[in-house]
Amino acid sequence: MLSLKRDKKEEEDGTGNPFNNLEKSTVLQEARTFNETPINPRKCGHILTKVLYIINQGEPIGQTEATEAFFAMTKLFQSKDPILRRLVYLGIKEMSKIAQDVIIVTSSLMKDMTGKEDQFRGPAIRALCSVTDHSMLQSIERYMKQAIVDKVPAVSSAALVSALHLGKGSHEVIKRWVNEAQEAVNSDNVMVQFHALGLLYHIRKTDKLAVNKLVSKFSKHTLKSPYAYCLLIRIAAKLIEEEDAGSDSPMFDFIESCLRHKSEMVIYEAAHAIVQLKNTTAKDLAPAVSVLQLFCSSPKPTLRFAAVRTLNKVAIKHPAAVTACNLDLENLITDVNRSIATLAITTLLKTGNESSVDRLMKQISTFMSEISDEFKIVVVQAIRSLCAKFPRKHNVLMTFLAQMLRDEGGFDYKKEIVDCIITTIEENAEAKEAGLAHLCEFIEDCEHTVLATKILHLLGREGPRTPTPSKYIRFIYNRVILENAAVRAAAVSAIAKFGAHCDDLLNSCVVLLERCQLDSDDEVRDRATFYVNVLKQQQKALSSAYILNGLQVSVVGLERALHQYTLEPSEVPFDLKSVPLAAQPISDQRVRDVPGENPSSKPSQDKVAASRQDVYQEQLAQVPELANLGALFKSSSPVEVTESETEYYIQCVKHTFSNYIVFQFDCTNTLNDQILEKVTVEMEPADGFEVTKYIPCPSLAYNKPGTTYTLVRLPSEPTQVTGTFACTLKFLVKDCDPQTGEPDEDGYDDEYVLEDVEVSVADHVQKVMKPNFAASWEEVGPENELEDTYALSTMNTLEEAIKNIIQYIGLQPCERSDKVPEGKSSHTLYLAGVFRGGHDALVRAKLALDSSGVTMQLTVRSTDPHVSEVLATAVA
Amino acid sequence: MGFFDSLAQWLGVKKKEVNVMVVGLDNSGKTTIINHFKSPDAKSHDIVPTVGFSVERFKSKALAFTAFDMSGQGRYRNLWEQYYKECDGIIFVIDSSDKLRMVVAKDELNLLLENPELKNRTIPILFFANKMDARDAVSSVKCSHLLELQAISNKPWFICASNALTGDGLHEGVEWLTDQLKVVLQKKKK
Repeated sequence: MLSLKRDKKEEEDGTGNPFNNLEKSTVLQEARTFNETPINPRKCGHILTKVLYIINQGEPIGQTEATEAFFAMTKLFQSKDPILRRLVYLGIKEMSKIAQDVIIVTSSLMKDMTGKEDQFRGPAIRALCSVTDHSMLQSIERYMKQAIVDKVPAVSSAALVSALHLGKGSHEVIKRWVNEAQEAVNSDNVMVQFHALGLLYHIRKTDKLAVNKLVSKFSKHTLKSPYAYCLLIRIAAKLIEEEDAGSDSPMFDFIESCLRHKSEMVIYEAAHAIVQLKNTTAKDLAPAVSVLQLFCSSPKPTLRFAAVRTLNKVAIKHPAAVTACNLDLENLITDVNRSIATLAITTLLKTGNESSVDRLMKQISTFMSEISDEFKIVVVQAIRSLCAKFPRKHNVLMTFLAQMLRDEGGFDYKKEIVDCIITTIEENAEAKEAGLAHLCEFIEDCEHTVLATKILHLLGREGPRTPTPSKYIRFIYNRVILENAAVRAAAVSAIAKFGAHCDDLLNSCVVLLERCQLDSDDEVRDRATFYVNVLKQQQKALSSAYILNGLQVSVVGLERALHQYTLEPSEVPFDLKSVPLAAQPISDQRVRDVPGENPSSKPSQDKVAASRQDVYQEQLAQVPELANLGALFKSSSPVEVTESETEYYIQCVKHTFSNYIVFQFDCTNTLNDQILEKVTVEMEPADGFEVTKYIPCPSLAYNKPGTTYTLVRLPSEPTQVTGTFACTLKFLVKDCDPQTGEPDEDGYDDEYVLEDVEVSVADHVQKVMKPNFAASWEEVGPENELEDTYALSTMNTLEEAIKNIIQYIGLQPCERSDKVPEGKSSHTLYLAGVFRGGHDALVRAKLALDSSGVTMQLTVRSTDPHVSEVLATAVA
Repeated sequence: MGFFDSLAQWLGVKKKEVNVMVVGLDNSGKTTIINHFKSPDAKSHDIVPTVGFSVERFKSKALAFTAFDMSGQGRYRNLWEQYYKECDGIIFVIDSSDKLRMVVAKDELNLLLENPELKNRTIPILFFANKMDARDAVSSVKCSHLLELQAISNKPWFICASNALTGDGLHEGVEWLTDQLKVVLQKKKK
């Protein structure tokens, strides 16, 4: 009674969620009420709900607390109250992973699962499966089998779904339930049939042949449940994908026949599957697309949404097929459901031609304010692809984007627009002025610091090269006056770039920067002081190195190097060249899970900025034999040296140091009846190279990756840098029991021939982006210049030539010179980087296309004469 | 408790509720004993080893029992103590034909008696020397010797021989427990 009153009161004063402001410790304290006898189901139910709420809010509960609450909860089995009992089942499921000794409820649950109360049986089965571990599974197996074939659908479904969950850990036990699952597939209940089919597939999914049989069996014998049909279609589609089969496969016939099913769900699933398939012809697609087209005019909004969403997804892949639906899509533009309308318009934008863009953009702008941010992003993405497709339409699209920038919207949405404008500026020189103007306007009133700094950086880079750089300075300087410290600092850097680039603006920029020296923030003042002093020197090389080019090294590497330097003080000043360079391009910085790594070095991978190379550096430092090779200069991306799906799977990574190369072989043994020991890769070195050390991998068990290293000294002759290495994998094989992994006592030596590993010029250079190539070119000077002319007769286009040159030389293309404007017959490619040992290397390649192929005039400048020689011969 | 419950109790329509724990080594017959007290339609026919515990209800003349039928397997015995706090009485089942493990039963009994939750409480303990029909079963007197029951001073206890399959001796024991629990409940009221 009391609790009832309290509930009422809570409802009155607490509008909204009555469970707000729950405290974990209080709730767990309250859970002790469960121990009281007799049990008050109402009160206990309320408390248990609170406990469940707390757990589902993601609040961490300690093991001891959880166990205490769990045991208190087990006492609620005394009560026969159905609501409370079902809450207890939920409680058991939620706490089964955090409390100890949860096995205690097994018998109670088994009693309920075989009991008379049907409404307890299903939940009891689910709860039981969550507390049962693999060793206990056998004791409940008999009951589970019975439950699967139970005539009550809820019980059968619960058992089937639980079996699916159990299958993750104890596949072997679940396999034995196949007969029961077979029987359940014949059930009249739609859900039971669906779940049973799911379980059957799960049991057999590793065996492709069995899955094939499964599909062909059930595709003939008519299933009742539309859900089961949908699942079958998905399985069939997956099979087609895996086998790379075309439309002649029986699977495809089955999916195609589902297009004529009576349930809309099945029809949609079949159409969806067909349009997503890879190898389809227009003829195969036609029936599926016509089904989707029909759905587009359905009175049910869900069907319209599903159809238009599917069409939207495949619009790029099958433009012709989707164009057939254009008329229906046009009708959907005015749909009352804005999500459908947005998808319809963006689909039309993707497939439409240049002339329809204006009209569609006008239409879309009428309801931009009514759709959610998520769909606005879809629109922006469509516009982005349009910008790439129809560069001539940029002013319509730009205006539209600017309009969107002015409207209300969240960070993600604004970021998407800004990204879109930036890519358009970069791709399309004509759009640059307008785009920059829009962005300038946007930062006048931008609440997102991240976006403002990004745009300021862009202005600093692109602004100075426009015809009238001075007009941007006003916008930038306004930021210095009005914004927070981070934006001010970015603005200062941008102004300095204008000063460094445009001689006529230098004095004005210095004046502005001098004013910034009075700023209240340290960083802003420091930057301003630094830039003023550099600019006052009026030396092009200095400005280019310290203002325009910025920091080239990897931040994590720099931090580590500086830390090392402070630990071992020495007379020698810190050398920035010893710091590994930041890997270019930046998109390549995903952190890979490096096999065979010590757990101690794991945390370093979690650092956000740790690039792939930093991870390797850390990993190599863990191997004592490789620790004193100096700083890692470059790590290549992994190359496979075995065919895939052979006995052993091996990848090679080349690490370049100043005098050595380390070949890292990441090996995986795919035979479960063998253990390999003392694994090394023997290398037949090319001339001048010398193998100095092998570091074997002590043991290589089935499916557990291991790493072995081979250390090679580079030739003393500085121009000799390339070579081909023949590799052989040598190891000691021990046969073992596939189940237990227990190896035999003695083994035998064996070897395995790997593909050759090549060391090319690209392994000796690191890509570096020089934003202002001309300045850097002058900075290095002509002392070590080499020039040569080549005829690349095998290349037929400039693009192809550029791609190959970059691949051979391994330097970073600068100033977007890797993109050739359409219709030109000559082009100049600028490449920049650093050669092993810290020598700057710059390459200018003038390319001309004529009837016989591509002619190239290659000019190399470097701080070291040997480097120039190596690079000049790289292409030859 | 609501008003109607107390009224019903006063009128004697509704029986007083008590909690008892059924403990003992594995395969001593705990679940079978409880099964015997259940109404004919609720009886289960095959008894399997209990995992964890299960809650059962049965009635005697004056009381409604809620029995926590605990698992007797070695690895679950340490979980008994989670349920000591709320119980009003204990039924300890002994397999009187298993002389070998009598010492194990004694150890478990001592652990139970020494548990801080039970040590200073006067709660009745009923011993069933079960499986008295077995050929090599020891008598209840011998049983109490082997378990040194005479050393229990602060709790009322009673031992009777039983056969859970036929029900011999079970009612005698439960009658004793009912009488004891009634006394305890009366004391509680005062």
